[in-house]
Amino acid sequence: MKFKIFLILPIIAWLLLTACSKGQQGKAEAKPRRGLTYWCASNPQEYKLAKELVKAWNQRHPEIPVKLQTLPASQSSEEVLLAAIAGKTTPDICSNMWPGAMDEFIAAGGLLRLDTFPDFRSYVTERVMEDQLKTFQAKDGGYYQLPWKTNPIMVFYNKKIFRKAGVQPPLVTYSQFLSAAQKIVQDFDGDGQIDHWMLYRDIKPIWWQRLFDYYPFYICASGGRTLFEADSIVFNNQASVKVFRFFQTMYRRGYMPVTQFQGDQFLAERLATQISGPWLVAHIQKFAPADFEYGIMPIPKPDDYQGAVYTYGDPKNISIFNNTKHPRAAWQFAKWLISRHADQRLLEICDQIPMRKNLLSDSSFIAYFKAKPQMKMFALQAPFTRGVDGVADLKEIFNIISQEYEASVIYGRRPPEEAIERAAKRVKVIREWNR
Amino acid sequence: MLAYVKQKIKKSDKIGYLMSLPYLVSFALFVAFPLGFSFILIFHKWNVITPMRWVGLKNFYRLFHDVEFFRAIYNTVVFLIIHIPLQIVFALVIAVLLNQKIKLRGFFRAVFFMPVIVSGVVITILWQQLYAYETGVLNLILTQLGLPKIPWINDPSWAMPSIAIMATWKNVGLYIVLFLVGLQNIPKYLYESAELDGATAWQKFWYITVPSLNSTMVLVVILSTIGGFSLFIEPFVMTGGGPMNSTLSAMLYIYNQAFYFGHMGYAATLGFFFAFIIFIVVLIQKRVVERK
Repeated sequence: MKFKIFLILPIIAWLLLTACSKGQQGKAEAKPRRGLTYWCASNPQEYKLAKELVKAWNQRHPEIPVKLQTLPASQSSEEVLLAAIAGKTTPDICSNMWPGAMDEFIAAGGLLRLDTFPDFRSYVTERVMEDQLKTFQAKDGGYYQLPWKTNPIMVFYNKKIFRKAGVQPPLVTYSQFLSAAQKIVQDFDGDGQIDHWMLYRDIKPIWWQRLFDYYPFYICASGGRTLFEADSIVFNNQASVKVFRFFQTMYRRGYMPVTQFQGDQFLAERLATQISGPWLVAHIQKFAPADFEYGIMPIPKPDDYQGAVYTYGDPKNISIFNNTKHPRAAWQFAKWLISRHADQRLLEICDQIPMRKNLLSDSSFIAYFKAKPQMKMFALQAPFTRGVDGVADLKEIFNIISQEYEASVIYGRRPPEEAIERAAKRVKVIREWNR
Repeated sequence: MLAYVKQKIKKSDKIGYLMSLPYLVSFALFVAFPLGFSFILIFHKWNVITPMRWVGLKNFYRLFHDVEFFRAIYNTVVFLIIHIPLQIVFALVIAVLLNQKIKLRGFFRAVFFMPVIVSGVVITILWQQLYAYETGVLNLILTQLGLPKIPWINDPSWAMPSIAIMATWKNVGLYIVLFLVGLQNIPKYLYESAELDGATAWQKFWYITVPSLNSTMVLVVILSTIGGFSLFIEPFVMTGGGPMNSTLSAMLYIYNQAFYFGHMGYAATLGFFFAFIIFIVVLIQKRVVERK
């Protein structure tokens, strides 16, 4: 009996171990020996684009084939990439890099410094403006991301609701926006209920919600500044206060509801405006009723603001991971992903704006903008966009701003000045703790 | 000594070790290792991808200065204060009713138990729609009755009670079953004797049923306290901890620290501290309720 047990146990252990090692072997065989692995976003349009570009690349470069995979499903791409860096299972290249998470990726030593390639600067500056490129520079002065696309956050409006209320777009300033809201938020049919709201934002204090209300408005009101400058907090300024006060007025006067809606209320024509990026155009075309009429206008600015209207660009970039065995090939493939042809297909398939100079005058894109004139607004806005700061703990920083926004703007519990000051103080404490 | 141990092992029945191996392996993998690793994390700063850094007692310093964590504990206590009595009263009343000889008794017992087996996320999404300020069924009923709307989950003072009501609805079935078991164990002769003495229904309930259910009551209080302390799904799905942190439970806060912000060491510190609080509370409860 004892003999049997001592015989069975090692056999089970051996079977388990060989099963595991076979799995790993299988994986290694599935990967092309001299190829690259490329992760793209999992939405159908971006997958279609990536598939097409990879196919074209593989035809031209059979010596370094690229294997395409969508980013594994998770709450966010950043989580997946962090897990992949921790587990050393990153691809060679990924095209869904959010600049806000770059600091962590760089600190973990997961990314390849791209400006070490001799043609980096010449290739990139031919495409992107110098000041825009600078916003993607890491703390160590290097570049770990290749600017790819931007989704300028703008205001969509329902033309029918505007017409019914006698409102003339565009609404350029805060006071114009507020007076339009006063006309729109009414009980037109006399049933005791408000027919349309001016705007709706999710009231849950989730950090990324601020990327679609406070943050683009702050970038606009501050003339293109972000939250930090040289790693120091700069958002505790009058621009932030003005933005808080504007949204606070919207809630206080009942132009924005303090509720949680289910479903798309903009397409259901219950909202006069919606803050979003160009992806909403494709969504509207697919799901809106046939008689749905919409327009696009820039983010409104404070009444006393002079200068260009900036907004949040929600940029997504391309990075090469440190564990790649073919850095040069990966760099060549990355350049292919931001080539003129790839940018044209990005517009045509995904309705997203490539980060490229002279988009509207470039002959490659004229036909697209002629066919989709509403996308011109985004192309015009694209050079005037800002991303997020490449600082550590950005999610936590936005979480703090979110909490102060909630207390001051949504529930009116403290004046904007106090809320902004509190946010700045709390951010300082958090950064000190996390150091 | 070593020879003695070897002798003991030689003499013992090996098949027993083999049979308990699956449990021991799962215990080692899913309990002992995470617990041991979390304890090590208490003294470190770690965000999963960069190497662990020794910080000594810095995580404890942060904990005792973290106003938000104590707010989360306060919220959890508020939830427990509303949820436990509500749950006990409803569970007991329904259990007493379902213990009578009524029609469709089996059907009602099944119906009350149903929410317990349905996913918490599904129930929370359902209640989120019921509670919606503008379009929710509850507010539509109130409006039709000529009453003002209630900001169920949109007002800091209403949000936690609303979550407690929902949690009670979800969990009451389990406690009904526990009370039913307790009720069926009360000897019938106690009621017969009380009837002969002329006791009213209320007197029978108060002087026989309630004291006889003491051990069940202890179990219900302890289980719902531990369950209440682990409040997570409801605020995570329904309110995200808002409005104004009024539904931020301790578990949600720990989760955010670990998986949102990547402060694994700090989250482990909070976890141990919180487990200690639960231990103390349950100890006190056990003594107080049992004595009564």
